[in-house]
Amino acid sequence: MEKIESAAESRKLLNKITNDLTRSIVKKDELTRFWFFILIMFVIVGLWGWIVQIKTGLGVTGMRDYVSWGMYIANFVFFVAVSLIGFLISSALHLLKIPWAKPISRVAEQVAIAFVALAGIIIVMDMGRPDRFMNIFLHGRFASPIIWDVTVITTYLAISVLLFYIPLIPDLAILRDKMSDKLPKWQLTMYKILSLGWKGSAEQYKTIYHAMRVLMILIIPVGLSIHTVTSWLFAATLRSGWDTAILGPYFVAGAFVAGTAAVIMVMYVYRLRYGLKDYFEDFHFDYMGKLLVFVCLVYLYFNVNEYLVPGYKMKEADGIHLNELFQGNYSGVFWIVQVAGLILPIFLLLFSYFRKPLPISIISFVVLIMAWLKRYIIVIPTLEHPFLPVQNVPGIFQHYSPTSIEVMITIFSFVAALIIISVLAKLFPVITIWEYASEKGIDKKYLTENDKN
Amino acid sequence: MNNKISYIIIAILFLSVQSFAQEWLVPGDQRNIKNPLEYNLDNVQKGKDLYLKNCKSCHGDPGKNNALPLVPPPVDITSEKMQKNTVGELFYKITNGRGGMPQFKTNISEDDRWRIVNYIMNFNPNREPVLVAAPKVKAKIMASVNEKERKVEVFAEHEVKGKYSSLGNEQITISAKKYFGNIKIGEVTTDNNGRAEFNIPESLIGDEEGNVNMVVSLGEDYIAEAVLLEEAKVGQNKKVQKLIKPGILWSTNENIQIWLLLSYIGAVGAAWAAIAYVVFQLIKVKRLGKTEH
Repeated sequence: MEKIESAAESRKLLNKITNDLTRSIVKKDELTRFWFFILIMFVIVGLWGWIVQIKTGLGVTGMRDYVSWGMYIANFVFFVAVSLIGFLISSALHLLKIPWAKPISRVAEQVAIAFVALAGIIIVMDMGRPDRFMNIFLHGRFASPIIWDVTVITTYLAISVLLFYIPLIPDLAILRDKMSDKLPKWQLTMYKILSLGWKGSAEQYKTIYHAMRVLMILIIPVGLSIHTVTSWLFAATLRSGWDTAILGPYFVAGAFVAGTAAVIMVMYVYRLRYGLKDYFEDFHFDYMGKLLVFVCLVYLYFNVNEYLVPGYKMKEADGIHLNELFQGNYSGVFWIVQVAGLILPIFLLLFSYFRKPLPISIISFVVLIMAWLKRYIIVIPTLEHPFLPVQNVPGIFQHYSPTSIEVMITIFSFVAALIIISVLAKLFPVITIWEYASEKGIDKKYLTENDKN
Repeated sequence: MNNKISYIIIAILFLSVQSFAQEWLVPGDQRNIKNPLEYNLDNVQKGKDLYLKNCKSCHGDPGKNNALPLVPPPVDITSEKMQKNTVGELFYKITNGRGGMPQFKTNISEDDRWRIVNYIMNFNPNREPVLVAAPKVKAKIMASVNEKERKVEVFAEHEVKGKYSSLGNEQITISAKKYFGNIKIGEVTTDNNGRAEFNIPESLIGDEEGNVNMVVSLGEDYIAEAVLLEEAKVGQNKKVQKLIKPGILWSTNENIQIWLLLSYIGAVGAAWAAIAYVVFQLIKVKRLGKTEH
């Protein structure tokens, strides 16, 4: 990294960076309004569906005595999975001092916050009696993985918010100092409060570097446990398809696939929408593509273990479950997910052409959909088989299909996550200005000086 | 779905009409068999006891029409439909049964089956009843438990010409009150002064603390309120099997394994302590911003 000595040059470059990276905040046009309008419409529809569900009870869903964890829980697992990317990119890659990951870390944190927050809300929406939510804390059993999951998700949300916020503080000070003529007053007041009287002194930098380091280390065990504990919700039962020791790492590996794909898509949208070609550069997508191949390969390895070993033995109950996946009712989804969600992306992303921004974003979109379907076939087929042979069971118990209310509420969760990401992008720069600027060789002292001086 | 239910209902109705319509035919040679037992008080009384034990649960109390609502319905033994049967027919039907009516060939001896027939015949309009219920007399029971000596002490009185006087030589029933009715523990007969002492058997099992709710009552010939002796500590402690093993995971908080609880609290405490530390760093950033110029 070269130091830029000239003050004028530094100021000029910093101005350009600041202008580029705050474009998302300043820019107000019809498209933004339309985007929020569409999102809010979907949210209203979803909330209406939820009101119907609360009024009439969970009977409006397709869930019955056998399949008591339907689309909601599959969706919940997906959301937890996607949120795990915050841990991978803004902590693991940072600690490994991988420089290209730096500009992406805020995108990753946005995705993490949005998805983990919604994961919590999805669980509340899955409850038949959400008014009894507090009972989890009042009468929770410490031996239950459900309590562990509630705890770890709350903890992860808190850490993700802090890990989003702390690197933001110097940026907030820049916004506070340099945007006074471009932004409404309430927004400036908010930046003023949130920037904690940032002066850019060496001592302050030292403190936030220290705090970030603590968080980055802390998020490793918490991040790993968030999805491991979610997998224990399944693995701690005796059901075939869930009763495997590999489920924890299997879920974590799958989470990285889904999260990487989600971050690539958000990056592409920011690049296109806010004109950030010089910031989310082609090589970022290229590296993210390689990262996606890597995590897909890890996930493929776990998939082989997960299906080949029980498939080789075909124990009675496991055999029923596996046959259902391999050649039964769910075989179509299963093979599409394996091919389009794992094998094809691995193959395509080996070619540099497919790691260019647009192709890789399309591939990521497909990977993300497949990741969602994958959660669906992890949760539902297992539940459709009862533990014991039973007679005279209503057909509706044996086959699950989500109802329109469930689809509405599931769409709501996606839309709400998009709203959180959009609002975060609307309020805060999508790339850390000060980190980027010092990366480009601008001395930190220019960051806090006021333009008007 | 609804169609299915209505088909089932129609089928049941059809079958039941069938069974109403179909006479319960008894082979001719069986119909006219003579009752080998004498129709006397002893046999009728024994028949009554057998009826109460084996038949009452479905056919109900004689003359009260409180049979169970089964299809086809069990017939009250005082009814015309029942009494139209010859003794031979009654014996055949008790012996062999049909449909919902079980056979009693294997679990009631032939003589006893004839005694039940005798009891039914007691209600036959063409016969002189040998067992006549005496008019009921008003009576009172007083009872108390002596937990130390494991005794129930009873004093019974009955009304004679408008005055209460002690009731001697009468059977008192002691039962335990359970969720689904009373279970007889034993009987005791009052002495000439109307007093009785019942020794509670050692084997009596109470609730988890050994408490038993006992009911002291007189026979059906008296109008007397039964005495309820609540929570007498005279029984053995009932052993309640704990369904959740202490060592099992997914258990209640009382049964949680200590290592699990400590790991949970330790991990959560450590994570939140670190978060609190980071928040404290933020406060420090703010303080630094204030002091430096």
